Amino acid sequence: MGRRRKKGAEGDLLAGTLDMLILRVLRAGPAHGLFIAQAIERRSDDVLLVEQGSLYPALHRLEERKWIAADWGVSDTNRRARFYRLTPAGKRQLAAEENRWASIVHAIGRVMRPETE
Amino acid sequence: MTRRTTDHIDEMAAHIELYVEELVAQGHSIDEARRLARVKFGNPRSRVEQIEESGGMQFVGAIWRDARYALRVLGRAPAFTATAVLTLALAIGANAAVFSLANTVLLQPLPYPEPDRLALVVTRFHTAEGTEGFDISQDGRQWEATRDRVASLDAAVYSGGGGGVNLILGDTAVIARQQRVSAGYFRVLGVAPLVGREFTVEEDVPNGPAVAVLSHALWQRVYRGQTNVLGQSVFLRGEPYTVVGVMPADFKSWADPDLWTPLRPSTRGEGAGTNYEVVARLRPGATWVQARGELEAMSVPEIYESRGRREGLTLVQDVQPLQQAIASSYGLRQPIVLLGASAGIVLLVACVNLAALLLARGAGRTKEIATRMALGSGRRAVVRQLMVEAGVVAALGGVLGLVVGYLGLEWLKSLGADVYSEWKMVSLDGTVVAVTLGLSALTSLVFGLVPALQASRIGVQASMNESGSRSIAGSARRWPRRALVIAEVALGVVLLVSAGLLMRTFVELRSLDPGFDPEGLVTTTASLQDKRYESAESVNRLFADTLRVLESTPGVESASVSLELPYDRLLNLGFRMPDDPDLVRTITNAMYVTPDFIGTLRIPLRDGRGLSAQDRSEAPPVVLVNESWARFYSKDRSPLGRRISILGTEREIVGVIGNVQQLASFSLDGLTPGPIVSAPLVLVPAAQTGDASLRTLHTWFWPVWTVRSRTPAIGAEALQRAIREADSMLPTAEVRSMDQVMARATSRQRLLMTLAGLLAGATLLLSAIGIHGLIAHTVAERRREFGIRLALGATPARTMRAVAGSGLALAAVGAVLGGLLSIPATSLVESFLWGVTGRDPVTYVAVVLFMLVVAGLASLLPALRILKLDPAQTLR
Repeated sequence: MGRRRKKGAEGDLLAGTLDMLILRVLRAGPAHGLFIAQAIERRSDDVLLVEQGSLYPALHRLEERKWIAADWGVSDTNRRARFYRLTPAGKRQLAAEENRWASIVHAIGRVMRPETE
Repeated sequence: MTRRTTDHIDEMAAHIELYVEELVAQGHSIDEARRLARVKFGNPRSRVEQIEESGGMQFVGAIWRDARYALRVLGRAPAFTATAVLTLALAIGANAAVFSLANTVLLQPLPYPEPDRLALVVTRFHTAEGTEGFDISQDGRQWEATRDRVASLDAAVYSGGGGGVNLILGDTAVIARQQRVSAGYFRVLGVAPLVGREFTVEEDVPNGPAVAVLSHALWQRVYRGQTNVLGQSVFLRGEPYTVVGVMPADFKSWADPDLWTPLRPSTRGEGAGTNYEVVARLRPGATWVQARGELEAMSVPEIYESRGRREGLTLVQDVQPLQQAIASSYGLRQPIVLLGASAGIVLLVACVNLAALLLARGAGRTKEIATRMALGSGRRAVVRQLMVEAGVVAALGGVLGLVVGYLGLEWLKSLGADVYSEWKMVSLDGTVVAVTLGLSALTSLVFGLVPALQASRIGVQASMNESGSRSIAGSARRWPRRALVIAEVALGVVLLVSAGLLMRTFVELRSLDPGFDPEGLVTTTASLQDKRYESAESVNRLFADTLRVLESTPGVESASVSLELPYDRLLNLGFRMPDDPDLVRTITNAMYVTPDFIGTLRIPLRDGRGLSAQDRSEAPPVVLVNESWARFYSKDRSPLGRRISILGTEREIVGVIGNVQQLASFSLDGLTPGPIVSAPLVLVPAAQTGDASLRTLHTWFWPVWTVRSRTPAIGAEALQRAIREADSMLPTAEVRSMDQVMARATSRQRLLMTLAGLLAGATLLLSAIGIHGLIAHTVAERRREFGIRLALGATPARTMRAVAGSGLALAAVGAVLGGLLSIPATSLVESFLWGVTGRDPVTYVAVVLFMLVVAGLASLLPALRILKLDPAQTLR
């Protein structure tokens, strides 16, 4: 059981992508974990289903790298929650990731549909 | 910066609550909302572990959490925790105490600057028979040759030991320890006096001025630290000595004296024999190779004349590092090595026991661990948790072990200080603390890793099924524990055999026939190396005055004075027999005695007459000899009437007395070797001993007053009063019973026996606990199975026999293994054994039987629980 989980966390394409998605959601402004998870699901039309718990190792990782910062605050329903926000370093990182992502999408597109180019 | 684990847990909890609230708002029931939230979120715990494992800093937090968890878990199993921590504390404590000894006596550099440039000058010998070694004793010629011909060494000479001398302070007299050292002794060691100076070369010559350097302790005691002490006089041995210096408080030397006086080395008198030791410091720029070369060049035959020449004996002058030379020459190394090895085994057995304990506990916790893993706990986290648990036990054990070690060391010091004065300086310092804590950390790895790995191999499904105890306990998992039990029994036997052999030696020495009646004798002694007692007349007057008081005291039966006592190290002398010029290389022990000596001690007179008051100085000189003397030197005729030339006078042998035991100081072909022997002995009347002889004898030996009285208290009181009345300025040593004198002769053996016995006992106890634990665990684990067996008609006795028998069988295997291991292992104690060999079958058989009895009891006790099993209960 333990072994399978471990693979999932580090081996998936999503693992690296999840970081980028989190950063992208936070560009709009500070948000707490539940909001981030729901934002990803909503914007992907529920294609990308996030196990909410899996967000936290990623958030922790990003925080350790100083791309995001966090503080305890109060949610719109007056609940205690931890709010994450993008740091300047995070903004630069997001820009880099977006460029990388765009070139990958572009490259894959050319592989998939060579005749249209 | 790094967040605490609790913070992560809080955050996730908040997340879930927030989500539940949202779901409720969407119209779900609260229970449904909770369920959905859990599903959507996943397992928070595994996420926490994942976060913890992701970063190094986080690891510390995880360990901290595990440690707190471990404390809770351990707190819930107080019996287990107490057993484990106490076991470890005892083993660690024993090692801390013994390591302190080794550290101070053998390892730590001596407290002098640049200790690696200090050495003793030694004489290396190699005999025709192939024995090799070195002797730190040097004579006057060797010293002068070293001083004059070895340019690379700055050398000084001293006389070993701190002999007691009479010191008069105002109106009280005490016995102080004095050491004689040459000019330059303190310079060579590299420690300057705190006040004043050390001896000059001009002072350090025969008939030089009487000067003294005081120890810091004596200076504080007598002069309360006044600096104007220089030039004052102290009365030493009845003579005024001018104080020229005071040493600093932190100056320590292996002799630990109260004051120093000039040695005045010469090549005559004591300098004609090997009575000196030479300490040297390598001069700046010189090398040891150079020093060795120069010493070797002076190894010409005439400089070791005093050692006698023998065929095949080669002698070479050399240097030996100071600490090493002292440790091996004073016999300090071997007992510590022996104790260290024993303490190491105790620790090993403790680890084995703890591993077994944790293994059993791990087996008992299979269900808990399987549950945690089923809930998503990683394998690494489980192993880490178990390791941390072992670490917490080790930490508790280590800290408690330091306390045990400190107390143990104090006890060791009080027990051993009489035998090894060097132990007095030992303290539990930072190094010991560091090593001890390191040791306990290491042990936690040793005893924690095996069970942790075993537990982590638990298959979740199998364990969950087995957890209902519906299966017969598999025996495969018990094998590691069985091997551990065998190992600890084997190690226990090795220690028990060593301790048993030491005990046999001690019993052997204590059961020797003393040759006199020690019951009811009390003794005291005083130093007569004193200006006021330089004539035979003054010495004998003191004896007569004191004996008169003693004999007139009611309750005192008889009293005498002798130069030392049986069971002491006696004066040994060469002698001649004028009627037998062929008799050469003779050596005998000798004492002077007052007339009633053999009567007071009740030494039997075998032939001729004893001594009487008529054997005065002007009467014809006479002696008594013992049977051993007669056997060695007067084989073919009665010694009575023969004449012997000893102590400068020809005397007639008038009586033969029975043998008495003495500390060995020489060996003779045909004399049973050992620390206590019935050596040849000659008794000379004190009244017929000359001025010069007495002066020389009193330099090294002390007269002893012995009283036989109705009660020891009467004798002790009478002794003190008699000497005080005769000479109020003569300090006396404390009164000892003859039993104490005899005990002192075997104190070294007793010390070793006690310590080795304690360590062996500790191992035995641990082995018993180990076996007990194994059987108790087996019984607990197989309760269901036994219930079924009993229900099917097996008798409790039979079941018990089978269970206890398995413990006994393991012990038997371990005992045989231990017996075999002991054969090489006893070589470590061989040199301490007398009257018994390292392969003494009685000891081996007794130890193995003893071990089996203990193992049998340890197996039987838990097996008795089978009697209490109620099939109706266990099968439910």
